[in-house]
Amino acid sequence: MNLTWRLAWRNLWRHARRTWLTVGAIVFCNVLLVFLISLQLGSYQMMIDNSLALFSGHLQVQQRDYQEQQRIRDSVPAVAGLAQTLRGKLPDARGVAARAQAFALASSEQRSFGIQLTGVQPQYEPEVSTLPGLVSAGRYLKPGDTDAIVVGAVLARNLKIGVGDELTFIGSGRDGSIAAGIAKVVGILKTGVADVDRGVAQLPLGWFQQAFAMGDAGHEVVVRMHNLDEVPAAVATVRATLPADEKLAVLDWNQLQPGLRQAILSDMTSGWFMYGVLIVLVAFSVLNTQLMSVLERTHEFGVMLALGLAPGRLARLVAMETLLLSALGLAIGLVLGALLVAYLGVAGFTYPGMDEMAARFNIPARIYPQISFLSLSWGPATVFVFCLLASIYPALQLYRLTPVAAMRAAQ
Amino acid sequence: MSGALSVTARLAWRNLWRNHRRTLVMLLAISIGVWAMIFMSALMRGMTDQMVRNGLHTLPGELQIHNPAYRDDPSVANDMAWPSGALLDALDGPPVVAWAARVRVPAMISSERDSRGVTLLGVDPASERALGSAPTDEEITAGRFLQGPDDDGIVLGAALARKLDTGLGKRVVIMSQDPDNNVADRGMRVVGLFHSRLEGTEERYAWTGREPLQKLLGIGTQVSEIGATAHDYRHTDRWAPSIAAAAGSSLAVETWGELDPYLGSMLRVMDGFSLVFMAVIFTILSFGLVNTLAMAVFERVREIGLMQALGMQPGSIVALVLLESMYLLLLGLVTGNAVAWLSIRPLQSGIDLTAVAEGMEMMGVGTTLYPALSWIDMLFSTAVVVVLGLLASLLPAWRAARLDPVRAINQT
Amino acid sequence: MQAVMCRAVCRTFHQGESLVTGLDHVDLDIAPGEFVCLSGPSGSGKTTLLNAIGALDTPDSGEISVGGQRLDQMSKTQLAQLRLHRIGFVFQAYNLVPVLTARENVEFVMQVQGVPNAERRKVVDEVLAAVGLAGLEDRRPTQLSGGQQQRVAVARAIASKPDLVLADEPTANLDSQSAAQLMALFEELNSERGVTFVIATHDTRVMGYARRVVRLLDGRIVADEAQEPHRMAVE
Repeated sequence: MNLTWRLAWRNLWRHARRTWLTVGAIVFCNVLLVFLISLQLGSYQMMIDNSLALFSGHLQVQQRDYQEQQRIRDSVPAVAGLAQTLRGKLPDARGVAARAQAFALASSEQRSFGIQLTGVQPQYEPEVSTLPGLVSAGRYLKPGDTDAIVVGAVLARNLKIGVGDELTFIGSGRDGSIAAGIAKVVGILKTGVADVDRGVAQLPLGWFQQAFAMGDAGHEVVVRMHNLDEVPAAVATVRATLPADEKLAVLDWNQLQPGLRQAILSDMTSGWFMYGVLIVLVAFSVLNTQLMSVLERTHEFGVMLALGLAPGRLARLVAMETLLLSALGLAIGLVLGALLVAYLGVAGFTYPGMDEMAARFNIPARIYPQISFLSLSWGPATVFVFCLLASIYPALQLYRLTPVAAMRAAQ
Repeated sequence: MSGALSVTARLAWRNLWRNHRRTLVMLLAISIGVWAMIFMSALMRGMTDQMVRNGLHTLPGELQIHNPAYRDDPSVANDMAWPSGALLDALDGPPVVAWAARVRVPAMISSERDSRGVTLLGVDPASERALGSAPTDEEITAGRFLQGPDDDGIVLGAALARKLDTGLGKRVVIMSQDPDNNVADRGMRVVGLFHSRLEGTEERYAWTGREPLQKLLGIGTQVSEIGATAHDYRHTDRWAPSIAAAAGSSLAVETWGELDPYLGSMLRVMDGFSLVFMAVIFTILSFGLVNTLAMAVFERVREIGLMQALGMQPGSIVALVLLESMYLLLLGLVTGNAVAWLSIRPLQSGIDLTAVAEGMEMMGVGTTLYPALSWIDMLFSTAVVVVLGLLASLLPAWRAARLDPVRAINQT
Repeated sequence: MQAVMCRAVCRTFHQGESLVTGLDHVDLDIAPGEFVCLSGPSGSGKTTLLNAIGALDTPDSGEISVGGQRLDQMSKTQLAQLRLHRIGFVFQAYNLVPVLTARENVEFVMQVQGVPNAERRKVVDEVLAAVGLAGLEDRRPTQLSGGQQQRVAVARAIASKPDLVLADEPTANLDSQSAAQLMALFEELNSERGVTFVIATHDTRVMGYARRVVRLLDGRIVADEAQEPHRMAVE
């Protein structure tokens, strides 16, 4: 090891307790940041994956005004055909499916509720959405079904219906005519997300088109990819495939669920406020320690200046000491943080109130933190940089020293 | 103050400023920490307040009374009688500030172009306004709100009207179900449009007079629910039992925390988070605090030894170090509190969050965040810092008092 | 060319509200290879003069040259370079870096001077042997006696082969035997290597080694005498 580094290292241990206390502050902050950031990224990932997988998919093709207005006449012509075309163009997609939606008054023998009906392609829907897999009673729709319907568990309870019962719906068709039909409940869906369980009702697309006078039109083609990174390329492919004149729009997940990214963004902002405060306080701790260490060595530095050492060289020495101090905190913090996160990656993490939050934000009630290079290094690296910045002020003190005055200081 | 103590106090104060740079750095750190504690608490409190208030406006009320079967089966069949007797007395007396009884039914609303499912509310406009659940005059973007319980116009959310392709003065058809499961429908004229901070509210609710709706459904003077408020959502549990007693066993009385577990748990999570945040900030601070005091003691080993040799009691030395710590903490607290107050004041007119509006809506918060500076938070953070700070200072103080005078004096 | 040349050097200090005269029109020439003692009671200006010659302090007026170079015409960096390469300093005790061993203390300064690694190793052992510390190279200052510490300081001062060594009360914290050994070392370095020595002291034993004694009082030179050195006995 170079002599100057050796000097810097030994200087750190002149006040071992002080150094350990400062390292302790850095370690505490690092472990906390590794833990919180992993948890945050983990829950965001789950939030995005679960929300998108549940229903909306990664991207959709819709009539330009549909997202905003959701009017039945803002439809996509030949929707099943378009889905078929896109299936060919996107070999990497997990699934492509066509849907149509309309609002209707659904009535059982005893109860009526205004709900949103979705016409789906039973053979393709399971590839774009996790809903078909969440059947709690009966079965999901299957190809060849006509007047079948699956409904959410809360909706079924509100309507007082079960598998085998009939459900009548009345709404308005695309041409403004009265649309009506009687469907037989074949399955009940239960997601645990109250809003979904209260609102979902799915029936076969063909029968839906007939009942609502849609012809061959629908409202959206849903595409689900394997992961988020593939979405931009898929959007471009779909855009290139669409006929230019048909007023169709391609929406990615962020446009489909703008709340999702914003919820993450606002959560991240408040998170970073907290992290920022922690980091600044740790930096102050380092600043104070290094300032002490410089001030108590005034005499020694005076001698060195007298010997002809430039102040810059002494400042570098102080910077090196800070670097070693921070690196020690970084290393220990990273190891402890990684161990904690690795443990929670297996055991999961939960806190009081998590159940209700989870139901609202569509995440499981137990979070498994995400271990990645980013989640591990982001916090500690920032702490490291700020600790180094904190050595600037103490190091600047050296430029103000004059050898004669410094040597007069007590040893 | 006794003579000895006043000397100790003065000595501790002067000791504090012997290394003024170190003291100032630590003071800055404590101030930032205290500021962050209070600022964060104010933001969280503001957010929680708004979340809960918005929630209470849509529920509505801090407490609701239903037919016991209503919550599982929110149908008009599970209705209840207009309050009377003991219940009416309880609702009209303190601490209840306002209450409203309403008919609440799921309905289908159709324009000539489209239809949507909504929750149709048949209300007494005056009592709903008092409860805070009805759109205010500022929120009415076109036309007017209902004029009385007999008003047979309908007030829709602007977003709903847009999606239905309808507008002010147009007719819409509402369809619902009477207690005998027959479809009841009638046309209504749109007399007003409202805007809400939460777009979901605009699409979900439609308002009409209580009496026309009761007539349409054929339920006489029966209502679906009663909401009541005391304008103090943190203490609903204190008065809920008396209402429940007055309502008797044939009605279910539930507080907002029971009605909306998410809202209730959010309040606890946020409060808990504030506490954790304060503890974390303090832990980081305490490292620096212990360090500073330990250094102060270390530098003065000879001096402390001399004082002991001169007959100063160990207790006085502990007091000396603790007092020095106390001064530092108090100065930091004063600055931190002052800066927090100064920085929150200009923000109390609201922080614009339109950039993340839909995300905030997911959490039930509008697009403007109003930080709520509470003296409880200020007091609490002060208490946390003082109590824990003195605890953290005990170690260096104890070490100082335990020094061997002879060795201390000879130490170079 | 003189090793040191001072012309009308003045320096005053503020002490509280009063002005204290440190140096009052001092003229002094020191030839290369001289062994000079600056003597006088404390406050007479010895240290002030030494600091001024060593470019640690700047006089208010007058001029100083070291090795023919005018100090007042040099930049701060040039002055630091001058101190680093041409002048060796020995202060009172306790001026070593406490966390470095004897060898490292010498090496550290040499590293700063830019001496290459291999040469540094060789020179360090040589220099430490020359000051009589062979075998103690790896001890830390706290493990050395006062005299030994001061020898390390001397080794550090001469490692760069300076023309001039300035010593301020080098024996102040030493017992007589260590003091005598240190002075013998100075004398040896002076006669064998031709290093110019300027030593500020009020220790009469130290003055005995000098061939020239310059006496100061209240910042003025009151006597400048050549003498025959009379050494202390070294046991």
